[in-house]
Amino acid sequence: MITFFLVLLQSGNEYNGGAVVAMVGKDCVAIASDKRFGLELLTLATDFEKIFKMNDKCYIGLAGLATDVQTLSEELKLKCDLYKLREEREITPKKFAHLVSSTLYDHRWGPYFCEPCIAGLDENNKPFICSTDLIGCINFAKDFVVCGTTARELYGICESFWEPDLGPEELFEVISQSLLNAFDRDSKSGWGAVVHIITPEKIITRHLKTRQD
Amino acid sequence: MEVLLGIQGKDFVLVASDALAITSIVAMKRNHNKTRKLNDNVLLMFSGEGGDSVQFCEFIQRNVQLNGIRRGYPLSTKAAANFTRVELAESLRSRHPYQVNLLIAGCDPDTGVPELYWMDYLASLKKLPFAVQGYGQYFCNSTMDRYYRPDMNLEEAKALMKKCINELKVRFIINFSDFVFQVVDKDGIKEIKLE
Amino acid sequence: MINLDFLNPAENNNVLEQEEANEYMENLSVPTFEIPLVHNPVEFLKHQTHAAEQCRLSIVHGTTTLAFKFKHGVIVCVDSRATSGTYIASQTVKKVIEINPYLLGTMAGGAADCSYWERELGRRCRLYELRNKERISVAAASKLLCNMVYAYKGMGLSMGTMVCGWDKKGPGLYYVDNDGTRLEGDLFSVGSGSTFAYGILDSGFKYDMTPEEAYDLGRRAIYHATFRDSASGGIVSCYHVKQDGWTLISRTNVKELHYKYQDEPKAPLV
Repeated sequence: MITFFLVLLQSGNEYNGGAVVAMVGKDCVAIASDKRFGLELLTLATDFEKIFKMNDKCYIGLAGLATDVQTLSEELKLKCDLYKLREEREITPKKFAHLVSSTLYDHRWGPYFCEPCIAGLDENNKPFICSTDLIGCINFAKDFVVCGTTARELYGICESFWEPDLGPEELFEVISQSLLNAFDRDSKSGWGAVVHIITPEKIITRHLKTRQD
Repeated sequence: MEVLLGIQGKDFVLVASDALAITSIVAMKRNHNKTRKLNDNVLLMFSGEGGDSVQFCEFIQRNVQLNGIRRGYPLSTKAAANFTRVELAESLRSRHPYQVNLLIAGCDPDTGVPELYWMDYLASLKKLPFAVQGYGQYFCNSTMDRYYRPDMNLEEAKALMKKCINELKVRFIINFSDFVFQVVDKDGIKEIKLE
Repeated sequence: MINLDFLNPAENNNVLEQEEANEYMENLSVPTFEIPLVHNPVEFLKHQTHAAEQCRLSIVHGTTTLAFKFKHGVIVCVDSRATSGTYIASQTVKKVIEINPYLLGTMAGGAADCSYWERELGRRCRLYELRNKERISVAAASKLLCNMVYAYKGMGLSMGTMVCGWDKKGPGLYYVDNDGTRLEGDLFSVGSGSTFAYGILDSGFKYDMTPEEAYDLGRRAIYHATFRDSASGGIVSCYHVKQDGWTLISRTNVKELHYKYQDEPKAPLV
């Protein structure tokens, strides 16, 4: 098992590839991911979405090793549902972020090889985003968070495209252009993209037409 | 060095597994069956470490069957695939993870809707219209991309399977003399010949 | 080190002839390079370029290229992506090297290695032509390239190329790589996406295709490789080598090809 983890520690996050980005707007947040599912350089499927709905106002994007993306998303969904049954209210994104953080730290010495981005609106419909590293260190942000193999490209492009107080449609344009142009420079992500815009009234989900190479 | 293939058609899944059992550089057996029936309509195909693959698949087979007996109706393909994934994912973080790659083919006995799942030794599960396991992925995926249609009938699926096997014969260094072909449809699982 | 012993100047007594021979040797000798002043230059460079070393120097890899002979000549198709690790360094690399109007070379492996040695091959082919008053054969040209890179075997060159052309014997197609392998053949594909391209070529190839069918087959093979292989992509370039030299047939963006092919019905199976 030790050798298995050493191999994964070097390449776990890059084995399947993927890109996730979340952004804050004016009374709304957006979260987007690519759709590739691959093994190193081989692309296996182009409908692997990495964003999971926890409730109407809280989404999580998981980029990294696909098996852990699946395991972790199921574990988190279970915990959210149990929270709702116990507390008779939906979990807020901030509380959810701490739940994610402690879940990840539970596996401190055999971590899940994926990095989460969380986006949502709190009980007062105030936008909230954050990301964590693979063992649960939370990074709160007021503008945008990124993760996956495309993180470096995304940082650069989001720095220049993002601005404060974007409305839902403007935010959609900014997050889509950022993601599309970032993963066009990353061989392990792309092959389609999905964007969710979370507003107090509704969730807008759009699938983007992209390059397929 | 093993190859598993699966093609989901209109109301069936056509699968093929190579019949070669290899130890080191020796072909030990040329009529090896690398599949297990999970229930009447779900077939599990495996490749990977010799001991691991059979042990794991028979463990899954027993539990899926037990589940069917307990509940009085068989597990669906999706349920069987997800059960297998959870078991493999748990084993992944144990002292001795199972090194096994799988394809799960099934067909709903009532509606006749076929399903095909791909899973690697890391327990990443993906539902696919056609799937290849092993080095065959590099040779057959493009051929399937080129010719595959979701509404194919059995004759067309057989023709596509032949194209893929032929490509392996032409380009892959291992000479697979034989494959086991099976069709999973709503009437069950049966072995067929490609001709 | 291997010298190209066409003439042995030591055995020649005629001074004039000797001078001419020296010049000949100079022009055809293996070029010299600056070598780093370290104990073991090959190991030094390997260390600097190794993937695990955070890529202090990265060399461009990842490609799909193909070429095949058919009734109307040779078709050459390539993609245009250059990757450095997982980063896409360029989507507009020209992977077909136009050695001269009758010879094409393709590029897979190290971009610099391919372009340098095929440029050098072009120079030598031109010298051959000037000396012999006739064009070099494809066989001879590919052998020149093969001998050049063989001299550097084990020193880390990375090159997988197909030399395509037309000579007295008709269409010619040779595969040459950095091991010193040189193969004559009818159909080759080279690069990380080659297995995917072979899948399309082997199932769709017919010797007596029309040129249009052949262009489509080549483009499709590259397109399917770019879809499955993430180190290939960008633009598909298609060349046709005929008796009177090569012509560029098309350069098409993979994005356009994908949505075009997606709208077309699939080829019949039965």
